[in-house]
Amino acid sequence: MNGSLDALLANATLWRARGAAEAPAAGDRPHLATGWPKLDAQLPGRGWPLGTLIELLLPEAGAGELSLLLPALGALAAEPLGAGRRWLAWIAPPHAPYPPALAQSGICPDRLLLVSAEKTPDRLWAVEQALRSGSCAAVLAWLDAADDRWLRRLKLAAEAGRTLAVLLRPARRRAGASPASLRLALEPTPAGLDLWVLKSRGRGPVRIHDVFGA
Amino acid sequence: MRPAARNRTGSRPDGGRNGDLFEVPRTAPAPAPRPAPAAPVPRSRPVPRQLWLAVRLPLLPLVALPRGAGGPWAVVADAGAVRLVVAANAAAARFGVAAGQKPNAARALAPGLGLAERDPPREARHLELLARWATSLTPVVSLEPPDGLLLEVQGSLRLFGGIDALMRHAAAGLDARRETFALAAAPTPRAAAWFARAAHGTVVESAATLAGALGRLPLAVTGWPARTLEDCARLGLATLGELRRLPRDGLARRFEPALLGALDEAFGLAPAPRRRHVAPERFEERLEPAAELESVAALEPWCGRLLERLGEFLKVRDAGVAALAFTLVHRDRRPSCVRLGRALPAADAAEWRGLLSERLGQLRLPAPVRALVLRSGVAVPVAGASGTLPGLGSGAAAAQAGLLLDRLRARLGETAVSGVRLVPEHRPEAAFRRVRPEPAAARAAAGAAALPAAPRPLWLLAAPEPLALESGLPCRAGTLALESGPERIESGWWDGVPVARDYYVARTAQGVRLWIFRSREACGPRRWFLHGVFG
Repeated sequence: MNGSLDALLANATLWRARGAAEAPAAGDRPHLATGWPKLDAQLPGRGWPLGTLIELLLPEAGAGELSLLLPALGALAAEPLGAGRRWLAWIAPPHAPYPPALAQSGICPDRLLLVSAEKTPDRLWAVEQALRSGSCAAVLAWLDAADDRWLRRLKLAAEAGRTLAVLLRPARRRAGASPASLRLALEPTPAGLDLWVLKSRGRGPVRIHDVFGA
Repeated sequence: MRPAARNRTGSRPDGGRNGDLFEVPRTAPAPAPRPAPAAPVPRSRPVPRQLWLAVRLPLLPLVALPRGAGGPWAVVADAGAVRLVVAANAAAARFGVAAGQKPNAARALAPGLGLAERDPPREARHLELLARWATSLTPVVSLEPPDGLLLEVQGSLRLFGGIDALMRHAAAGLDARRETFALAAAPTPRAAAWFARAAHGTVVESAATLAGALGRLPLAVTGWPARTLEDCARLGLATLGELRRLPRDGLARRFEPALLGALDEAFGLAPAPRRRHVAPERFEERLEPAAELESVAALEPWCGRLLERLGEFLKVRDAGVAALAFTLVHRDRRPSCVRLGRALPAADAAEWRGLLSERLGQLRLPAPVRALVLRSGVAVPVAGASGTLPGLGSGAAAAQAGLLLDRLRARLGETAVSGVRLVPEHRPEAAFRRVRPEPAAARAAAGAAALPAAPRPLWLLAAPEPLALESGLPCRAGTLALESGPERIESGWWDGVPVARDYYVARTAQGVRLWIFRSREACGPRRWFLHGVFG
């Protein structure tokens, strides 16, 4: 009995839910540390997965989404340009990102690419272009309504490269299904920021209290 | 060919826009420097024969300026400390106005004389236009600023039936363009230029008779500085022949080394390299479909055909273009235009095609299309047009980064895509600027010293939003709790947009951190505003 179980567990094609968070399978997608230990501990691969879709659900703009992403963006901006992944693309942000604040976090404003697109089809198209071009280190895209077919298309585009691809959507889209590999809901509290990991490989929903705290 | 391959002598003062450097294939030591005790006479070797046709345009400063024929007028320019007339039109010349006069003297001769300032860039453009015409006589044309062209015509003699016939042809062409000109031909370019300055129509075909004919020319044709000419006159020298009979080492010692070099070039003893002028190349082609094209879908394959031909055009030249314009010709309507631009010059027709389909997706045809014309910008050599090794060189990466920009701009518009740059400025709203993103920009120093020490929000509102007050405290969906502050910013009184504010970091009841300020204007109520969100 035990022997057959061991044989089964030794099979590399078998996916084990419990171990997934602790030990990412060999040949998995690359990951990038989030810079927040509490969050890293809950993510498979201990960081933002690159080359796939990440979805952040926000109750309102400014809920802490940029602070959450900032360490990872800083790490990407520090990569040498020779790698060819030049841009940190911001597609249809609700306000203008403020360059002095980014520079304070070590992100050279030179790397920023701001794209404004009013209409949803244009926005989705721009996200797909940015993901497919291979010249973006990160793509942050603010979307509201988006049909499932388009989201799958974006996921395919993201999987073609190793870009940090983040969709930022209003919290009311929480109920809808999403092809994103990682879904987080942000809940700012007077003490800091709480996070719900809604969807993550090998994990059920988990709540992280005060993600910025020690 | 690339500039690097063309550059055989290493001296390209014009940065490589004008094409090949070619030279009289005669090797000789460089002109003797001044302290050389004895300037050796360069040995001559048998060379292929050359014949240079010089075109001199004495009135170029005049014809280059856009000015009607009415009344006498002249062009003036600074010549050292004084201003002198450099050219006068026929009406002014009848009054006796001539080059070299002072403006006041010229005005005294011709009452009501109009004076215009010389415009060298216009003259250069005019000269380039004439150089394009001159390529109908020979492919080897070089610009000889400020007022001439040099054409190597030995290879064209048989086609035109001799130098006399060729010069008649050239004169007819220049007449048709209403140019005032002087032509002369000689085996060396410098001699041809000097003959043309002396008189119209001189032809010296053989190197054997060159020295004699050149020797009779007055020294003034050389255009040497006035001081040199005065020195020669003081020595009793009037012609080139007399100057040349002086001992070489004496000449080298007494005059600028350039003088001996110029003499050697003119008499054919030293090579006289001339830079070949290559007109900037553009692609232009027109297609006329058998039937009018009613829809964008019908138009696209025709545009694609033009782009294919553009691709071939660029491929053989190893070049790329940064801008394209499709002109669509309609019946009973003005033509419409579809423009495409790239951040970096690109050669790949497939990439252009991708951009085009983005643009055509946005296009509404105002009327059916009868014909379409594709014109390109200037074709420039593209580095690595034949492909670079993967992972090597940031050229390919920059091209990718540029291509994304091009695609986004083609569909969303030029202004929809932007980059940002920091500006050293205390007023928060003026501390950055939107710029056109550069795919290959060097990483600019972030200017860490200029960054504020106090926290700055990641989002800045386009304009500060007034906040309501509740029992004396600012509120936004509940009273705001002030976390830190104030940070006083007072600046800009000198340029009319002064700010005087106390900034605080505040937190809403929901936990969102805001950047707010209280205005400190001397007059008026001190109100609270929301300026940023920490995000």
